[in-house]
Amino acid sequence: MIQKQKNFISSYRKLPPEFNIFLVLLGIALVFEILGWIFIGQSFLLNKRRLVIMILQVSVIGIIAVGVTQVIIMAGIDLSGGSLVALSAIVAASLAQNSTYTKAIYPHLTDLPFIVPVLAGIACGLFAGFISGSLIARTGIPPFIATLGMLVSARGAAAWYNNGKPVSFLGDDFTALGQGAWPVLIFLVVAAVFHILMRYTRYGKHTYAIGSNEEAARVAGINIVRHKIIVYSIAGALSGLAGVVTAARAMSAQAGMGMMYELDAISAAVIGGTSLFGGRGRIAGTLFGVLILGVISSGFVFMRIDAYYQDMVKGAIIVGAVIVDHYRNKKMRNKDKDT
Amino acid sequence: MKTIKYFLVSVIFFLAISTSVNAITIGFSVARFDDNFLTVMRNDAVRRAEEAGHTMQVDDAKDDVTTQLSQVQNYIASGVDAIIVNAVDTDTTQAMTKAAEGAGVPLVYVNRQPIDLDALGATTTFVGSNEKWSGTLEAFEMCVQAGGTGTAVMLMGQLSNEAARSRSEDVREVLKLSMCNGIDLIEEQTGNWSRLEANDIMTNWIAAGLEFNIVFANNDEMAIGAIQALKSAGISMDDVIVGGVDATEDALNAMLAGDLDVTVFQNAAAQGAGAVDAAAALVDGASLPNFVVIPFELVTMANIDNYIGQN
Repeated sequence: MIQKQKNFISSYRKLPPEFNIFLVLLGIALVFEILGWIFIGQSFLLNKRRLVIMILQVSVIGIIAVGVTQVIIMAGIDLSGGSLVALSAIVAASLAQNSTYTKAIYPHLTDLPFIVPVLAGIACGLFAGFISGSLIARTGIPPFIATLGMLVSARGAAAWYNNGKPVSFLGDDFTALGQGAWPVLIFLVVAAVFHILMRYTRYGKHTYAIGSNEEAARVAGINIVRHKIIVYSIAGALSGLAGVVTAARAMSAQAGMGMMYELDAISAAVIGGTSLFGGRGRIAGTLFGVLILGVISSGFVFMRIDAYYQDMVKGAIIVGAVIVDHYRNKKMRNKDKDT
Repeated sequence: MKTIKYFLVSVIFFLAISTSVNAITIGFSVARFDDNFLTVMRNDAVRRAEEAGHTMQVDDAKDDVTTQLSQVQNYIASGVDAIIVNAVDTDTTQAMTKAAEGAGVPLVYVNRQPIDLDALGATTTFVGSNEKWSGTLEAFEMCVQAGGTGTAVMLMGQLSNEAARSRSEDVREVLKLSMCNGIDLIEEQTGNWSRLEANDIMTNWIAAGLEFNIVFANNDEMAIGAIQALKSAGISMDDVIVGGVDATEDALNAMLAGDLDVTVFQNAAAQGAGAVDAAAALVDGASLPNFVVIPFELVTMANIDNYIGQN
């Protein structure tokens, strides 16, 4: 009997830690599925179009969350994601306008190949991330403050860039990036690439090391300053990419875009099991965290829940998901001690 | 309707001309700098102030009631001649009215109708459009285009916003008319004025298999989001009547492309410039009505040429 229980525990322990959060995702989806059959009379999950929109509507959040997860694993925080989406979207869009529009921001820079605005948007985010990272690594100010400053400044820069006016009339090859399932594909590729980088390369090992114990990492010979700047730059670049995708999807860029996205991205990372104290977390977990947000959004519209209640319920589900994960992890650790 | 507009604008303009000898200082608190419509309004106010030689300080209230009240108090403390306020929340204007009237500084509300409109004193006025009309014009024209029957969905703005509530209510009221009650409103959801949120909601509705041929949107951005979602689901825009409010450049473009059917023009430029002129007139001791109306105007394919390049 005891033998049997041990086997069960050890086989459970062999499952990756994201398994818990996957169960939460499945649980929420099943609740909507059951409610759907009872109240709406149709399936929530067995609907190809709905499955696509579930991921599509959170792809941009997901791209930001991949960068934020790395920052949090390194025991930092990045609050600038949403504002960088707006700034990068506007910068990218200003270089993606087509020549049929007579009032383009740069009349001589229309009909450029789509790679130009894409790279410009990413570079814009990268540069902002580089500034935040340098401030944090070199002056030692808390990441919360440095990226909070960036959140405010980047939003201001986004409004200043075109006097607060929207940038529209974008070229077809640029907007194609935001159509159909492209944002989903970009998100999944980004998540896969960084999942591998974090798990199997020196880059990832250094990030976890700094997040677990910065002093020990320094003693072990890791160049902390350089590594921090790299991680924040990557997070910035991913927010820049998210901005490019947003502009392509909306076929327009506006200074008010991406409002509060940073909080959704951080929520997704935390729901996905990333510890705010650093050193623990995985991109795969964040992927499930992002999907939970998507399932909730679609589920609300599906269940015709009145708009007033959506945010209240969403907040409760976010906290609830983390409590479930926290409880299961604690139980697992206690069992570790027992055996 | 147009004639009335030009008449009113020219009245204000005349008042301004007669007083423009006195260059005044104005404090202008705008609810948000990152809102497209408010930006058009703000830029035209700044332009008019420059033309008239007024000194105008413009501040961003960042959608925060307290920030806005502090800005107004700062203007009073620094001794401006007049204050223009684009209210963050139309329900909390009384404190600002009281502060300005107490200090004897003329106050002009612009674009968003203050709750104490009827109680405004002689040195306070409101320049804007009558919100009651935007949703009504939109819904009635769409009802006519649909022949009074059909199935409709509605995308609403932020529910904390007066314009969102009243535009949605206008739509429901129009659908009670005997010639429009053949239209069945089957779903409504808030898209927070946002193109992407509206796109997501619409895609979710299509996924749920909802069938409809009329889309009421509280603004053009959400109408465009709905159009993008409908198109990517392969639905022909000839089969769906979509309407919004604002007549933005993007919206007029969508109308020319045959995607958007109805929008309502709110004259941001006339509101911004009108507020500056009203402020100058009040400083000069002119008496203005409590409500200087800049009317809404219906825009369809029939008259779109008049509006291109306006907002």
